[in-house]
Amino acid sequence: MGLQSNSVPTANSAPTNPVAAKPMVSAQNVAKTVHTYEGALTILQDISLDVAAGESLAIVGASGSGKSTLLGILAGLDLPTSGSVFLNGHHLTDLDEEGRAKVRAENVGFIFQSFQLLPGLTALENVLLPLELHGVSNARAAAAEFLGRVGLAQRLHHYPQQLSGGEQQRVAIARAFASSPRVLFADEPTGNLDSATGARIIELLFDLNRELGTTLVLITHEERLAMRCQRRIELNAGRIANSTVQT
Amino acid sequence: MLALRLLWRNWRSGEVKLLAGALLLAVAVVSGIAIFTDRLQRTLVQESNVLLGADRVVRGSHPHNPEWEQAAKEAGLSQTTAVHFASMVYAGEHMHLASVKAVGEGYPVRGQLETSLVPFAIDPQQITIADGIPAPGEAWVDSRLLPLLNLQLGDRVAVGEYELTVTRVLIREPDSSNPFSFMGARLLMNQADLPLTEVVQPGSRVQYQWLYAGRPADVEAFSAWLEPQLNPHQRLVDVGKNQQNLGRALATSQRFLLLAAVIGVLLASVALALSARQFANRHVDQVALLKSLGASSGRVRRLYFTQLFVLAVLASLAGLLVGEIMQRIVEEALWRSYQIRLGSGTVYPYLISLGSGLICLLFFALPALWFLPYVPPMKILRRELTVGRIQIGVQVALAFFAILLLVLMFSQNLKLAASVIGALVAVLLTTALLALGLLRLSRSLAGSAGSVWRLAVANLQRRREQTLMQIVVFSVAIMLLLTLTIVRTSLLDDWQAQLPDDAPNHFLVNIPQHEVDDIQQLIDERHYQRQPLYPMVRGRLTHINGVELSATKVAREGVFNREANLTWTADLADDNKVVDGNWWPQWQSRHGLPGVSVEVEMAREADLKPGDRLTFSLGGLAMEAEIASLRSLDWRSMRPNFFFIFEPGALDQFSPTYITSLHLPPSDKAFINDLLQRFPTVLVIELDRIFEQIRTIVTNVSDGVQLVLLLTLAAGCLVLLAAVTSSIDSRKQEVGLLRALGSPRRLMLGSVWLEFSLLGLLSGLIAVLGAEILLASLQHWVLETPIKPHYWLWLTGPLLSALLIGGLGVVSCRPAVNTPPAVVLREAG
Repeated sequence: MGLQSNSVPTANSAPTNPVAAKPMVSAQNVAKTVHTYEGALTILQDISLDVAAGESLAIVGASGSGKSTLLGILAGLDLPTSGSVFLNGHHLTDLDEEGRAKVRAENVGFIFQSFQLLPGLTALENVLLPLELHGVSNARAAAAEFLGRVGLAQRLHHYPQQLSGGEQQRVAIARAFASSPRVLFADEPTGNLDSATGARIIELLFDLNRELGTTLVLITHEERLAMRCQRRIELNAGRIANSTVQT
Repeated sequence: MLALRLLWRNWRSGEVKLLAGALLLAVAVVSGIAIFTDRLQRTLVQESNVLLGADRVVRGSHPHNPEWEQAAKEAGLSQTTAVHFASMVYAGEHMHLASVKAVGEGYPVRGQLETSLVPFAIDPQQITIADGIPAPGEAWVDSRLLPLLNLQLGDRVAVGEYELTVTRVLIREPDSSNPFSFMGARLLMNQADLPLTEVVQPGSRVQYQWLYAGRPADVEAFSAWLEPQLNPHQRLVDVGKNQQNLGRALATSQRFLLLAAVIGVLLASVALALSARQFANRHVDQVALLKSLGASSGRVRRLYFTQLFVLAVLASLAGLLVGEIMQRIVEEALWRSYQIRLGSGTVYPYLISLGSGLICLLFFALPALWFLPYVPPMKILRRELTVGRIQIGVQVALAFFAILLLVLMFSQNLKLAASVIGALVAVLLTTALLALGLLRLSRSLAGSAGSVWRLAVANLQRRREQTLMQIVVFSVAIMLLLTLTIVRTSLLDDWQAQLPDDAPNHFLVNIPQHEVDDIQQLIDERHYQRQPLYPMVRGRLTHINGVELSATKVAREGVFNREANLTWTADLADDNKVVDGNWWPQWQSRHGLPGVSVEVEMAREADLKPGDRLTFSLGGLAMEAEIASLRSLDWRSMRPNFFFIFEPGALDQFSPTYITSLHLPPSDKAFINDLLQRFPTVLVIELDRIFEQIRTIVTNVSDGVQLVLLLTLAAGCLVLLAAVTSSIDSRKQEVGLLRALGSPRRLMLGSVWLEFSLLGLLSGLIAVLGAEILLASLQHWVLETPIKPHYWLWLTGPLLSALLIGGLGVVSCRPAVNTPPAVVLREAG
């Protein structure tokens, strides 16, 4: 696995995109400021980046460097204070919440550190949820098939609390891929798992990513995971401190 | 449909069960009570109407206007007539001043005539229900007329110029409380024979009755039309006017049931609000997830509100069903025990129940869930983000508005609704302040206590807001339950006290002076309980302070309109109390007139006060007296009681007859035969038959009250459960953490038990205080019974509350304590 460093010392220079010309996700001069009791707090500043379709991007950085906020803004869960964000050609910052919801419904899947499975639903029902939400026909069969692909064919009717951490994250992965999103956003997908389980989850994630051609944007602390991505950017105090293309 | 699937999954996971349960209970409480009260009320009114013989009666000294008959017919009412008069009836050498009632076809229009071929029959086998009225030429008579006239069935009796054949004994008839009934034994005859008797002549003292009955709305409308057309000699009589005792029992029972319904719904609503809040808290993550998956706010709103709506419809229908089943169970029990059939109800209580469910949902559940669609999707990544809920102040204001609506809907009484709200605000504020004070006190007390205590008190302190909310909810729920239980007990006691087992059940009147000693001796030989024999003369009040009564506004009212029984005595009876003026011999006349003591309610109606002069006409002689005192008395005591009591000697020139009352055990009914055969002129009024009717009704009501109490208790328990479980989620996490840090299981359970028991104890203390205040107010203003404290409550209330809530807390938290800490923490995320 080779590694080529391409340092980007200034934020204003757009990172190069070695894979495709038209970006699936694009941020231009994004900044995020929140107001607290102690005054305005800048979380993100001068963030510009493009992620091409099918590309995998790892966002790394210390705790509090703004990774989750950036992920949320790129996925259309939140709005930047200034700057523009595009997702599959949709100008997210021009859309209202309803419009962004529509874009998310059509383009986005999520994997979370704490899995975010609904405790009252079985594994199958958890995977079914986005499919039912989008009105997919034959949703049950599709959900069962995806659970089969993550190795949980025998666990369809188990509830989350009856599954191990790794199994729960597999359900979450099945849920994320089941609606065939163009972009998958993952927030520390191995953060709650032991090393061996984490490794298996990483394999699964990249296998599916490759197989389905999904664009992958993930946050991680784990070097092993960051290294599997085609590109990594490092955040420091809300700015892109480093952007590296990995091959 | 996704919403229904989600609802099913939420149901399966238990998240909406409490919500549904609370709503179901709210509707069940209302429907159980509303349907039952509606039917009971109709039955009571019908039964009372049976006593009247109709729904309404026009009574007067002249016949009714025949044109009314056509109008009544068009209004769909059934109608008939009766003519009452007192007449001497003869059989051979014997005669008796009988109370004759000549009735038309179809009499009575409510109730029935019960007859027998055996005098004084008690055995139901010997009693039959007449399928009509006496045929022309026939008479049905009171049992006591047979010995009075030395008659047998089949003998002939003369009424005026016409002879009738006595064919049956009249055991029970409606309208027996009519004043004419007290004058002599009843003789019931066919109105077709009336002209042949030639008894009714111009100037005769006769009461004409026109009776009608029908559907309540028709009767109301017709009566409203009729009333302005009555002439000054006619009165429209309904149950309220005719049966004051029954009216009072009816009003008290309705007030109680209403109170219970309000309390039941309030409790269920609190449970609903708490469980909706808990549901909403648990669903914040789910909504954030749905939004991250692309569900818009509108979609989330539709998803959740559809779930809520479907749940509400299902729970309301189930609630209606439960209410219906419960009231049917009571109906069956009534039928088995007392052979009482409840009348059919109206659709109104069903609508009220569904309406209450809807109000509870809109004002208690919806505000708690309102924010869900606005949960930001970013919450899925950043859990610390706050969510803009409807402010608690707005939620509370909405809740009060709902309570106002509910009470208004049940009572249609704005004053009552406003007082309920006022009382609630006062109770909540006081409770919160008391709870704060008690919490502070417990902290300072726990400082020197062991670790379990310190942990428990620290927990309560840390979640101060939640603790305060729980104490307020617990104490209000417990307070309402205590109040209801005690009100019920004292209400039943009050009713039972109204009709003690040994209450006098027969009046003996018209006892001549020379028979007084013999009759006293006869009764005392048999050891029957009796009241003293009071002298009695009949007289009519004609002037007040020299102004002729017919010129005053009270001329047509009650006792002024007819002859009253006047008595004299030196000693005041136990149940009489002088409330104004003086009893003799302390009293001094201002005008040199003899003194008279007047019953206080009547005095108030006529604006009479001590010192006023009253003129009576006694057998044509005028007699003036001065009011010496006003007296309160207990009409329910079933003793001889008088509106006017004179000072001894005042009525010496008028020859009195005597009156007394006695308690005759049912098995000794035949004593009346002996008595009447020896003293034929004495009149016996058999109150036992009226008692029996009243007692049946009172028992019905108390059974209904028991059921209502059970439903309300269930609502109270649901509130406790909802309040305990609402704090369980956060507790689980803490327990997991403390367990992970090595706290022993026993310490954890002990601390949870102590914490909840302490909550229960504090709530119990506040609840008892509140219940005492509430009870005192209810006793004073609503139920009009004397105020008395309940000392035993102060010990049992807090203890039971501590035990119950402590137990509930341990049971709810036990799974968290028993589950491995890692699992608890992982689930808590």
